Amino acid sequence: MRAAVLAAFGVLAAGPLAAEPFKCPKVGGSFVFGQEANVNSLDQMTSNTISTRNIAMNVFEALTTRDENNNPILDLADSLAEAPDGMTYTFTLRPGIKFHNGKPLTSADVAASWDRYSKVGLDRQMFDAVAGWDAPDPMTFVVRMKQAQPTFLEKLSSFSIPVVIVPAEARDDPPQQLRTVGTGPWQLVQSVPGSFVTLKRYDGYTPNTHFEGRTGFGGYKQACFDQVTFRIVTEGGARVAGLETGELHAVEDVPTKSLDRLRANKDVKLLPLPNWWIQIALGNASMAPTDDIRVRQAIQAALDMDEIMDAATDGNYKLNYGFAYPNQPDYVTTGKDTYNQKDPAKAKRLLAEAGYRGQPLVLLTNKDYTSMYNAALVVQEQLKAVGINTELKVVDWPTSVQMSLKADSGWNVFFSGWGTQPALGALATMAFLAPPGAQYQPKDGKDDPDVLAAWRGMNNLPTKEERRAAFGRMQQALLEKAYVFPFGSLTKVQAARANVEGWVPFRIPRMSNVWFAN
Amino acid sequence: MIRLLLLRLAGAAPVLLLVSMVSFGLMRLIPGDPSAAIAGLSATPAMVAQIRAQLGLDQPLLQQALHWYGGLLHGDLGRSILLGQSVFWATMERLPVTAALSLYALVVTLVVGIGTGVLAALRQNTWVDQAAMMVAMLGISVPNFFLGLLFIIWFAVGLGWLPTGGYIAFTDDPWGWFRTSTMPAVSLALLNIGLLARVTRSTMLEVLRQDYVRTARAKGLPRHLVIGKHALANAMIPITTVVGIIVSLLVSGSVVTETLFSIPGIGQLLTSAVLGRDYPMVQGGLLLVTALLVLINLGVDMLYAVLDPRVRLGG
Amino acid sequence: MPCLTRGCALAGSAAGAVRAVGPGRAALRRLFRHRLFVTGLVLFLAVLALAALAPWITTADPTKLGIRTKFRPPSAEFVFGTDNLGRSLWSRTVWGARLSVEIGVAVVALNAVFGTLVGALAGYFRGLDGPLMRVNDALMAFPAILLAIGITAVLGPSTENLILALAVVYIPRTARIVRASVLVLREMEYVQAAVAAGAGHWRILRTHVIPNAMAPLIVQLSFLFAYAVLTEATLSFIGLGAVPPTPTWGNIMAEGRAYMREAPWIITIPGVLLMVTVMGLNLLGDGLRDVLDPRLRLQP
Repeated sequence: MRAAVLAAFGVLAAGPLAAEPFKCPKVGGSFVFGQEANVNSLDQMTSNTISTRNIAMNVFEALTTRDENNNPILDLADSLAEAPDGMTYTFTLRPGIKFHNGKPLTSADVAASWDRYSKVGLDRQMFDAVAGWDAPDPMTFVVRMKQAQPTFLEKLSSFSIPVVIVPAEARDDPPQQLRTVGTGPWQLVQSVPGSFVTLKRYDGYTPNTHFEGRTGFGGYKQACFDQVTFRIVTEGGARVAGLETGELHAVEDVPTKSLDRLRANKDVKLLPLPNWWIQIALGNASMAPTDDIRVRQAIQAALDMDEIMDAATDGNYKLNYGFAYPNQPDYVTTGKDTYNQKDPAKAKRLLAEAGYRGQPLVLLTNKDYTSMYNAALVVQEQLKAVGINTELKVVDWPTSVQMSLKADSGWNVFFSGWGTQPALGALATMAFLAPPGAQYQPKDGKDDPDVLAAWRGMNNLPTKEERRAAFGRMQQALLEKAYVFPFGSLTKVQAARANVEGWVPFRIPRMSNVWFAN
Repeated sequence: MIRLLLLRLAGAAPVLLLVSMVSFGLMRLIPGDPSAAIAGLSATPAMVAQIRAQLGLDQPLLQQALHWYGGLLHGDLGRSILLGQSVFWATMERLPVTAALSLYALVVTLVVGIGTGVLAALRQNTWVDQAAMMVAMLGISVPNFFLGLLFIIWFAVGLGWLPTGGYIAFTDDPWGWFRTSTMPAVSLALLNIGLLARVTRSTMLEVLRQDYVRTARAKGLPRHLVIGKHALANAMIPITTVVGIIVSLLVSGSVVTETLFSIPGIGQLLTSAVLGRDYPMVQGGLLLVTALLVLINLGVDMLYAVLDPRVRLGG
Repeated sequence: MPCLTRGCALAGSAAGAVRAVGPGRAALRRLFRHRLFVTGLVLFLAVLALAALAPWITTADPTKLGIRTKFRPPSAEFVFGTDNLGRSLWSRTVWGARLSVEIGVAVVALNAVFGTLVGALAGYFRGLDGPLMRVNDALMAFPAILLAIGITAVLGPSTENLILALAVVYIPRTARIVRASVLVLREMEYVQAAVAAGAGHWRILRTHVIPNAMAPLIVQLSFLFAYAVLTEATLSFIGLGAVPPTPTWGNIMAEGRAYMREAPWIITIPGVLLMVTVMGLNLLGDGLRDVLDPRLRLQP
């Protein structure tokens, strides 16, 4: 991995200026996006919600980010040099960058942003191996490590809760209250929680000339619209209706039932996002009866994934086993046999072996995410059919998360959906199942030795291939011991008016390099 | 008059104290906490633990209560965890939205409700009366969220006349405000139209039977003058009381209506705060809204006293 | 409508109202001649019948999924159609009626007992009036639905807790009505005479005061039933009521909301039933009020 990362960065750092960067075919217009979930705070350092990312990732930028294929790339940094021993990283900043308040970006701002992140940033664990940072001159930023960490740049470039760069005076902004001043192509005009957020083109933006066009969250970005409004429209039917009437120019999360009608509409184009999340459930290995591996394997044997996914998604899904998608570099095929067995006889046999006598088995789900709720209903029927005495416990999402973090709060199977982490890669995904607080609630708080050993390998083995093999072992252990039940991958659909050009479906909508055809 | 006002204000103080205690207690006992809402869909357990510590949620309850009342004494309602905004300003920002919507609904209620009631009373026992009372009965029987859904199906999805939801401030675009507010306001108003029409009708019937109205009519005063000046003026007294009730009902109704139509008002603010376990927001917001309602009711009482001297004397 | 704020207690505290119960049989005869009352009664009895007969008139389990029968419109096979998970809406709405009735009955019963108790104590004992009514005022100051939301959130979502929350929300309103009657009755000559004759307070309350305060209470309770059913549906609809997959009208509508365009029957059928129930109860209450308690006509 290190070699690959360095190669990627190295090429970019030394690369010539792009010959012919992107130019907006048409400038102007006011674009309205129908967003599904309310946005509370635009503080990208302390919020992990998609609704925040949707907006804030157009406003803020970081030193590094990910490209269209999720590879790490430089964004605010012009170049990066890693010391041969892996103990220092030296970033030089791109020249001419100004914040939305007009102030030029210097390494002092970068240091202040890192200071804030190390205090309140949600993912500040990524700094665990970092000794400190310095700003020797206005354009240079140096990170010193306690020990070399091969995966440091992969973590740093993550777009889930990135270390966004803000002006130095924001160093002490309290959590959730970061001032919305960034370096991105879009600057904040107004935010009315519960209703809308409006951004406008930042005329002082300096695009990254190492690229020809937008890629992932980085690249050569240009704001073509004068203004972009994110309107909060929580009702799926309302988003579709808004798109049909043209009140909204693009929307996220089109309900499956509306797809046929929209497909027939010439004014609308559908932009599906396969592999939006892994529909999943976790077993509780500390709580009877799922503390018995045979009971968990019986559950695994009983499941019919097509029925589960069909109910969860109204039919828009792909069967997928394990914790990565086939189009990803991390993808491994270990543990495949455990998936979609549809074998009630085997389930009954395993239950008999385990001496199962109708002890209640609690399925913990929530009513806020319909797909998780529906999945639980189907799983309940399938488990009942093999003689498991299931109880459904339906609470709201915050309560279910709270309960899932405790082994003794009365649940056996917890229903969830993993979106951002699988998109970031295996390392981010497997963090759910690694100490501290592995979500399958290992017995007596002691992580399964096979899982733990594989996790250590994923983090510390020197080459990318070795780390990938370790991921394969981790997936195999988790599936064969039936700690986790991945059901399949859910497809989400974005849609836009036919005259919207340059819109490439992406997890987080990017408002740059998108324009109206006439 | 001033004595009455002071008396009523003094009476409201213990109510508000109790309200603040209930608000505090309710939220702290709820399972789950705001860390889940901040952490988003897929946060690792380690992240959630970090957020909890940061929010001071591991402090003892008594300490949190002291903090809350200490703040209240300084007029500080606290800070919303999710919005990162002071509770006072978050509420005040939403207040105009709910107020505008309620006012719209109130105007519709008054015009249609009183109109229907008067018409029914004047045409007592005719088909007009019966039809009016049928509509009123329907009004108080249709759940406002069901009516809202039907409106969305008919007028937004079916006919495409009005947007399905969202909100545009009057100050930004009056026509846009009208378009986004009409369905929610009317669905809020229908219940109250029913209430008001029924009250207006029975009060009017009573007043029309009074001697002075009959005398005025016998004297040959024109009919519309008798109705306008004598009958309706006297019927206004009980109607005022009902308007006080209606204001409370509008606030209650806005909880559902704002959620249904995605309108960023007080109701939606508090519902999403409850769902996200934003303790300070719910506590402070509930206290503020309830205090406001207490004051509005006090205002209605005072208005009642102005309209009806008997109440003033007895007060 | 039930008495929702202190304003209506003002309007309805007239003295004459309280004694207007009249001899039972005459009142009953007048009730059954009241056309609207009879209409209301018939509607309400129909819903009661659905609720009572639920186990016999439905064949499908209301939570049984049907992988191959999703989104069926109403037909001979599925009278009310099926929902997004292929469940029979006939079964779900009928069982939903049962739950609505259960909740209504429980809330009304709790109100009858505790509302009367609190109201009678506050109205009869001057010393208790102040503190009881302050607490009452505080609870009534909250917008009803917000208080109900808060309480169900604390107690955790379940049908029992929902009943408790609705009871807590409405008991102060019932108590206020009872108190208003008791305040008047306390000053009545025959009560004063009983006091002078040395009768104990409990005896006076039990034999002279409470029975005579029944008329406005009965009227209030019939409206309250409607309100309990309505509030339960509303809370379930916004996801704060009975826990899915429990079939309640509010839950069915909440789940059907996402499909209101493609499968409008999912929300319309329970919605119409809910409306009919509430209307039946309102008509019933109107009739009771007209006959038992004519002075209360002024009330909304």
